Amino acid sequence: MLGYVAIGIPCGILEDSIGLNALQAFLLSVLFYSGAGQFMIPNMWLAGGPIASIIASVSLVNTRQMLYSAAFAPACKGVKKRLSFLFAASVTDESYGVNVQKFSTGEWSVDRATMVNLFSQSSWTLSNVVGVLVGNAIGVPLAIAAFAMTSIFICLLVTQKWTPENALAALVAIVGVFACKMIGWSGPAILIGAVLGVCAALAFSWAKGRG
Amino acid sequence: MELMSWSNFLIIFICCAITMLACRVVPLFVLKGRNLPEGLEKALGFIPPAAFAALVANDLLDPAMFDAGIWPAAAPLVSAVVVGLVALKTKSLLWSAIAGVAAYALLTLI
Repeated sequence: MLGYVAIGIPCGILEDSIGLNALQAFLLSVLFYSGAGQFMIPNMWLAGGPIASIIASVSLVNTRQMLYSAAFAPACKGVKKRLSFLFAASVTDESYGVNVQKFSTGEWSVDRATMVNLFSQSSWTLSNVVGVLVGNAIGVPLAIAAFAMTSIFICLLVTQKWTPENALAALVAIVGVFACKMIGWSGPAILIGAVLGVCAALAFSWAKGRG
Repeated sequence: MELMSWSNFLIIFICCAITMLACRVVPLFVLKGRNLPEGLEKALGFIPPAAFAALVANDLLDPAMFDAGIWPAAAPLVSAVVVGLVALKTKSLLWSAIAGVAAYALLTLI
């Protein structure tokens, strides 16, 4: 829970730095509710990305939630539709980890898991709003705030599972971004780089499977 | 830098919220306990490393970055290495962010 506060406040400061107000941060945190996504929006906005490219990139990163959703499907068997919906809609990376662990002990239910999710979401929302107000009040230098965001992406990157396929995906993505910038496509560089990386890793694992 | 207007905010917010909700809810109701197709599961697994690498590369690398000499252009790269080590050691977003900001502030101020 403390983690949500510690990351939510800087996230709010960044949202403030691109001109969002507390109400907008509140809406994002309640209805969109994604740490990486809420860092990506200000990041790509600062990088001057076109709106379509921001939406496509953020949505691409969010597709990993499909894995979580599929993983919880067995646990939601026989649970009321409305509760399943609320539970599924409030899953994130962190609460996924907590709940998978709890479900594996066998003494855990969807309504308790939903409580965990909603509690996490409230602390996230609150700290985002506080971040916007703090950012408004003290004016953190943008370069420094932006580097906090870069640091978070670095941490998310290095804590991935380092299989050869994942390493290739990351490497191709980096080269792809650089190549896009060389030819002046800095707006969609992130999206193109990431898609190239995924394709390269898929091709590699397919070739490995055949060979 | 241009600030984000309400209309731009709403477009981004609504589109992202809809795709997010779909990704979170649809598999749970459609699959009813079956697994995702293997190929799709694989592709989804490759997205985080590729996407985070692209985001980091976009922040750190630029074809013209060393045009004005190696220093201070290399300061973000040095800070990034510090963050990488801290992240590997602690696996904590919070410590990584603190280490990154501290290293970056120190290197650019001196």
